[in-house]
Amino acid sequence: MIAALPPPPSPPAVSAALTETHVRVTSGFRGARIVLYGAVFDPARRPSDVVVIVRGPQQPVRIARKTRVAGIWVNSRPVVFQGAPGFYMTASTRPLDTIAGFGTLRRLGAGIDHLAIDAPLEQRIETRYGVRDVVVSRLGADYLDWRRAVVRLKARAGLYDADSHGVRFVDNGLFRAEIDLPTGAPIGRYRAEIILFQDGQPVSRRVREMTVEKAGAERALYLFAHRRPWFYGLASVIIALSAGWAASVAFRRS
Amino acid sequence: MDFYLPIAEVSVNAPLLVALGAAVGFISGLFGIGGGFLMTPVLVFLGIPPVVAVASEANHVAASSMSSVVSYGRRRAVDFRMGGVLAAGGAIGSLIGVELFRVLRLLGQADLVVSLSYLVFLGVIGGLMLTESLGAILRRRRGEGPKPRRDRRPPWLYGLPLKLRFPRSRLYISVIPPIALGVFVGVLSAIMGVGGGFILVPAMVYILRMPAGVVVGTSLFQIIITTSLTCVLQAGRNQTVDIVLATLLLIGGVLGAQLGAKASARFRAEELRALLGLIVLLVGLRMGLGLFVTPDEPFIMMSGAG
Repeated sequence: MIAALPPPPSPPAVSAALTETHVRVTSGFRGARIVLYGAVFDPARRPSDVVVIVRGPQQPVRIARKTRVAGIWVNSRPVVFQGAPGFYMTASTRPLDTIAGFGTLRRLGAGIDHLAIDAPLEQRIETRYGVRDVVVSRLGADYLDWRRAVVRLKARAGLYDADSHGVRFVDNGLFRAEIDLPTGAPIGRYRAEIILFQDGQPVSRRVREMTVEKAGAERALYLFAHRRPWFYGLASVIIALSAGWAASVAFRRS
Repeated sequence: MDFYLPIAEVSVNAPLLVALGAAVGFISGLFGIGGGFLMTPVLVFLGIPPVVAVASEANHVAASSMSSVVSYGRRRAVDFRMGGVLAAGGAIGSLIGVELFRVLRLLGQADLVVSLSYLVFLGVIGGLMLTESLGAILRRRRGEGPKPRRDRRPPWLYGLPLKLRFPRSRLYISVIPPIALGVFVGVLSAIMGVGGGFILVPAMVYILRMPAGVVVGTSLFQIIITTSLTCVLQAGRNQTVDIVLATLLLIGGVLGAQLGAKASARFRAEELRALLGLIVLLVGLRMGLGLFVTPDEPFIMMSGAG
């Protein structure tokens, strides 16, 4: 008889699921809370960290800075930033910078500071001091202020969030995290990335998708307004005028 | 009871909006104005994107004005021919205004122009109305008769070509001044989200010298046409009319306008003008304040990627 060899240790893996994959925006929509459940499989039971990154649809951001001109606050020329997701949230078991190193986080785009938010229209490539292909931003030294403002304004609208203790282990290897969508969450496809870290390295990764879409009357009206804008305008005027006329007739009788 | 607005993409409290519509409608019926200059700032304050507020408010003004104009028409207090000429100018004005608004949005200067327009137009007109009507009230208190009205009409009004007879206003003047006035008000209607009654009424009295009895009705009639057109253009060009928002506002608006029109009979004309002047002045100053106060947040997000 041959002694059964112990099976080779299987690599650690992470698995996850969302409680809801279709979020319907109807007239009663006031945001949604989606729960993400997952499990870590690791026979070796090495210390594990889980990071959840949720990204909403990409949309360029137009932002302006108020400046004082002759005593009046006016907007500067608006600057378009690309690469800022319409929704971005991270949840992790510990603060991200204690889980992995700078380079790893940057490569994964994990954390708001590591998002590739930039203003391509403001950039040009030139040769400076003999060095070729230097990216120069027309925003100059204020560039970081602008980028920080994009993040700050999004965070204020509840669209950007980083919860350094948002992933909680509820049982042996089983974890949960919550995704809070505000009322202003953009419509479109969302990607939730669940990454398992061990010793500062990503060892397993899962991607789950969900969609946020307008439903019911909201959807019908939105489509009507965008597909038949002129008829939509006429319809709203007719409603307004007939309501006004009806009220005057009703009050005349009374 | 919260409602998610499909175009504005924000959630609002429905009873609050109906109540606001009724309050502004009441003021609208009381003074014979559209009330847009009050409603648009309030909507922006409630968190509705300014572009949507301006466009949807045009719809609400059309409804309130329609509600009041029917009773003015019955009393033969509407000069339809003058209203039509003004509206022809207004149509050109709103075409220009909607395009201008589009360009200003792209340049990121829409907010500045809106705030400045409120400050300048509301401030000046509110101030003038207040001083004029307070003067009239003081004279009445002292027992003096009303200031004799200068009935001399400015000669340029008569020197211009294209004369037309306006029997109900008892005028025989060139159509150029009313058309120019209409264009001006149409542009403002598209940019400020107002009907423009606060400019039309004094302009009709002091520039066109129309009889006071037909001024308010005619102004409302022209406002209906201009705002209806603005609303269709905003929906067609910019897709910024929120029909749910407009409907919530106009439910209260049309009822409030009727009650306001009934209440207006109880007040003296100059007292009403003083009160309206005060409201106009305060709104103008409040809107203009933002231009001078250092903002908490130096950056602002612009709606739409252009």
